[in-house]
Parts: sequence; structure tokens; C-alpha cells
Amino acid sequence: MSVVEVQGLSKQYDPPTGVLAVDDVSFTIERGEVFSLLGPNGAGKSTTISMLSCLLRPSGGDATVDGHSVIGVVPQDIAIYPDMTARENLVFWGRMYGLAGAELKGRVDEVLELISLVDRQKDRVDKYSGGMKRRVNIGVALLHRPRILYLDEPTVGVDPQSRRSILDGILALRDQGMTVLYTTHYMAEAQELSDRIGIIDHGKMIALGTHAELVKIVGEEARVDVTVDRALDGMVERWKGLRGVSKASVEEDRAELLVEDANEVLPRLFEEAAQGGSRITSVNVSEPNLELVFLHLTGRALRE
Amino acid sequence: MTKVWAIAWKDLRSTMRNVPALVMMLVAPLALAGLLGFAFGGGDSFEIAATKVALASEDVQPAADASGEEAPPLAGDTLTGILTSEGLKDVLEVTQVKDAAAARSRVDDGDAAVAVIVPRDFTAALYGSGGTRTAVELYVNPTQEFGTAITDSVVSQALLGFNGARAAAMAAAAMAGGGHDEAAQAAAAAFVQSGGVSGALVLTDRAPGAGDDKGEEASAIGLVLAGMMIFFMFFGASNVARTILTEDQDGTLPRMMTTPTPTGTILGGKFTSVFLTVAAQMVVLLLGGRVLFGIDWGSLDIVTVLTVVTAAVASGLALLVISVVRTPGQAGSIGAGVYLVLALLGGNFTGTATTAGTYATVQGFTPNGPLLRGWDAAMRGGDLADVAPDLVVPLAFGVAFFAVAVWRFRRRYA
Repeated sequence: MSVVEVQGLSKQYDPPTGVLAVDDVSFTIERGEVFSLLGPNGAGKSTTISMLSCLLRPSGGDATVDGHSVIGVVPQDIAIYPDMTARENLVFWGRMYGLAGAELKGRVDEVLELISLVDRQKDRVDKYSGGMKRRVNIGVALLHRPRILYLDEPTVGVDPQSRRSILDGILALRDQGMTVLYTTHYMAEAQELSDRIGIIDHGKMIALGTHAELVKIVGEEARVDVTVDRALDGMVERWKGLRGVSKASVEEDRAELLVEDANEVLPRLFEEAAQGGSRITSVNVSEPNLELVFLHLTGRALRE
Repeated sequence: MTKVWAIAWKDLRSTMRNVPALVMMLVAPLALAGLLGFAFGGGDSFEIAATKVALASEDVQPAADASGEEAPPLAGDTLTGILTSEGLKDVLEVTQVKDAAAARSRVDDGDAAVAVIVPRDFTAALYGSGGTRTAVELYVNPTQEFGTAITDSVVSQALLGFNGARAAAMAAAAMAGGGHDEAAQAAAAAFVQSGGVSGALVLTDRAPGAGDDKGEEASAIGLVLAGMMIFFMFFGASNVARTILTEDQDGTLPRMMTTPTPTGTILGGKFTSVFLTVAAQMVVLLLGGRVLFGIDWGSLDIVTVLTVVTAAVASGLALLVISVVRTPGQAGSIGAGVYLVLALLGGNFTGTATTAGTYATVQGFTPNGPLLRGWDAAMRGGDLADVAPDLVVPLAFGVAFFAVAVWRFRRRYA
């Protein structure tokens, strides 16, 4: 059963000549599902979430969400009050969500426990680390026990330990039946958290499905990154013609090849390099993943 | 309403934790008022410092004549008595010295602004029948024009009285003798030509003004602080109103809009916080003025009404300015310009009691000019009937400011 239905959603800033930030995006999110929007910076992820949060009026299309009061929104930028303590922030935002009295107090205590800030609850937020601020930012969205949670790149600028803590928290919420819309430009996060992933680029949804379904787009091919001691362009042309190599291109100082079977192709690469008078200085093999899918679909890396 | 109060309380608490804002809102107006009040010499009235006078009376009794009549009282002593009388103590601070040289020396040394030197033949000239003329010398410090003018005026008044008395006495003596005394006639003519004033030296009080019949007088420092209060309340209101823009930029305002809180409630909370903050600011300043400077602001009901109206005007104006700008930076620069112009036009720095003509007319059509008049009337002991006419224009401005601000914010955050 879908709790979020998005149909042909579009947003153009300053029409008719302004930027088309979101262009005919459609997807659904099932109850209890973690759905990720994966794309590079500027792809339209935050604009999509803003429209679903009713912060931006769409230029076109339609979005249906299962009730305004059941949504919790974690914005990308930390949106809490730095001159207030964590507790004061949670109490204030709880009131904005309609909580009061003993219910509010109890829920604030629970959320402080959830975000592991009980010991620092009376410290002002401007004294917190970035990771702690992110946790309060997330905690605010959980106060009213939402059924749907929007998280807009919640791990940006966060240390690895805090990122791990946030991801574990989201997984725990999923296990409790929370429906999650998660935006990120980190492939690993989308891969780890999501039941389904929508890949978005330049405002368009270019692929949508489970991880396994998306990876099949690029087939079973692995990516091989190779560096040599001489100019690459000539070697890449030679490698393109090798059996088992479906695609070869130069990316900065290395060659990126898509191959059917890395174990079979690697010896041929070395042989061809030797015949061409070059010496391979490094080799890296990556099994099919979403980075490859994005590269295959757009010709660009996910993080440029 | 709970959400409105929650938003208002959040902003009020934030202001209380913002030390620079508190300094601007509370310390600056009290400090400025105190400095200006100190510069004008105190809190009760516009006091002019008494002029320091060195008085040397060298007057001596004239030589005894053959008639055997009792010698007249020394005119120099009479003049000394006039200059050192109780009624002139606030105007002249007289130090008597032994002779003219000592008197001049005090002026030269800066210990006195004026030396009054009564000549040796002062009594002889006054009571003599030979038409002798003499003069009281004023030895002055040319930089002390104001004090010199006062002393000159007092001494001239006194001498006029002496001359008048002399002329009258001589005329009476001539008439008693059945003859026509030329000297008496000349003295009388001189007295008449001088436009003589008779009678004791009197200082005339200023003409009665509004509220004077109640026996109250607005303190100078109170008027200064009232002007400073309103001026700094503009900035206090702006400081809180500006959080609408900073919260928009920081994301907390958009986040509030993702909660089940209507936009109207959010804006209502912000408007309430602005009003409450400047009302609290005013209360603190009123109390500060009372405690630090002894200002009597007037009766509690009038002060309450004036506080509410002043806070409404200041907060409405600040919200209007915020509603037409886009960034906190713009709010700061444009707002400061608007507040300064209104303060200059409304008389926050000059007061309203001494203005006249076109300027006074313009003052009357600003939101703050009539408010200052209202505060002035309150401090003079005025009642609601005295203050009410001065509230009409500010209230109209306050309502208009709010209305336009609401309209613009609704369009922006619809």
C-alpha cells in the first residue's frame, strides 16, 4: 500500500526561462519501505522533498501523502536553535507538533534517549559537535511519532562515527515500521539502507528499482580502473578492442573499463600494455554497483 | 494560542540571552539620557548655573555737612543687599572682597565671571544735591557673555531704582520748598528718559503652560529619556522582527511550516514576540528612569496606556520594514535609516516643547512626535483627557503598519 504517490512532479524556478529543477518525476513509496533518492548535488533531490513537505509549490504534477500530521522532515541544513539547549529545542518543536504537558515531557525524554544526548541535554546546541547537532536535527523530526520520515542528506559533513550512528538509527526505525524517504549522493548509504532506489539527475528520474534491478542495467560487468606509466589515450584505444571489454574511457589520470569477467580480462590488459610499450602501475577492480549504474546511464561519475 | 505563546516566548528568551541586543535596548538609552541630563545640570529642570560675581563695595559715607543731620545709610550696602538677596541666589553667586583690585583679580584668575565695583562716592552721588555723577563698574570676563548679561541686568535694575528714588526725593524737596529746583528737575528728566522702573527688583516667572495648573513640571532628563526610549525601541523591535528573515535563511521558519502549525499562527507568534519584547524593554527603561534618575512618569493608568501604544507603534513599524526587505542585512541598513529619519522628524533628539512652525507641524504627523507630547503631558501630571489627543495619530500609524505587514507576509509565505 502506497503512502506516498508522486506523479509527474515538476518545479521550475522563475518560469518561463528559469531552472527546471525537477522535471516530471514519478515514484511511489510503500508503507514501511525505505526509499532513497540517489543523485549528485543539484540533481533535484532537496527540491523534491521540499515539494512533498509543502514548502515549495510544484509547477506541475501531483503528490499525495498520507496526511500532513504524520510526516517528519529532517532538512539537509541543521534547522534548530543554537542558543537553546537540546531539551529546549525538543520542547519547542514538540509544541509545534501539537504535543503538550506530560506527553511532551515524556516524548522529549524518549527522543533524548534515542539520539543519545541525555547527558548533554542542558547544554546549548552551539556548544555541540556537528554530529551531535545532526542528531538533535533528526530527533526533532521524531517527536510526534511520524509514520513517514523525510531525511534530506542527513550525513553531510558528519564524522564516520556519527554517520554510522545515524544510519543504524534509520535501520532501527525501518525495523519499527517507519516509512522513510532518504536522499543522498552517497551510493553506499543508498545501497545499505534502501528497499528501493530512485536515481535522479538534472531533475529527471533516470532509473528506479531495487539494488539488484538497477545493477542489472549495467549487466554483470565489473569496472576495472588502470593507471599506466605513459599517456593513456593510446592504451585505451588498444584496450577497447580487446575481447571482454565492453567500454573503455579516460577519467583524469586513469582508464575506466567495463569488463565481463575481470579475471579473464586482466591478463589481456597487461599483455596489450606490454606490446604498446607501457607499464601498468595500478589496477583496481570494482564489482557492479550503483556508481557504475550512474556512470552507465549518464556518462558521469556520481560524485564529481 | 499555545503555539503563538510558544513562539513568542522562544524569541523573548533568545533576546534575553543576546547580550549585545540587551545593551542596545536597555543600557544605551539609559546611558545617553543620563549623559545628556548630566550635561544639562540635573534632573529637575533646565538649570542655568549661577554666575559667580566678585563684589567690592568701596563706598564710604560722604563728609559730614554743617546741618548736623544724621548720615544716610550707605547706598553701597543697599546695592550689596540687593545682589546678595535670597531671591537672586539661584542666579548670582556673590563673593564679597575687600577692594576693586581683589575683585578684578578674581575675574582675571577665573574665579568669577564678573566683578561689581561700587565706587567710593556712590552714596555721596546719590544723596548729594550738586548733580554729581558716578558709575558702578562691571569688570567682565568676555567669554562669559551669559553671566555678564545677567549681572548687568540686575545691577542696571538696581541703579534704575536708585535713580528713580533720587529723582522723586529731589522733586519732593523742591516742591516742599515752594521753588523749582533745576537739579531736581534734571534728575527727574533723566529718570523719565531712561524709561525708569520703580519698585523692588523682581524676577518674573515664565508664562504658564499645559499641566502647570496641576503644579507638576516635566523633568528635563525625563523628556530626554522618553525620546531615547522610543528611538531605541525602534531598534529593539527591529532586532526581534528581523528573526523572521534570519529564521527563513537558517531553515527554522521553513521547518516550522512543515509542522501542523498554520502560517498565520507562526506569524502571529512572531508578531506577539516583537510586541512583548519592546513592551518589556519599555517597562525596564521606565523603571530604570525612576530608580536611576528619579523620573516621575505620571499616573500608572496613563503610563500603561502610553506604554502599550508606544510598543504597538514600534513593533508595527519594525514588522513593516521587515516585510518589505529580503535579507537581515537589508533590514539593518534600511531600518536604521527609517528610524533615524523618524526620530529626527518626530523630535526624539530635540523634544517637542520648544519646536514651532513647520517643524512642529511635521512632528505632529509622525508616529513618534505625538507620543513624545503624550509622555510630556504624563510627566506634567496630565490625565487621560490630556494625553488622549496625542494618541490618535500614533495609533493610526500602528494599525496601518500592522495591516500592511500582515498583508505582505501573507503574500510571501502563502
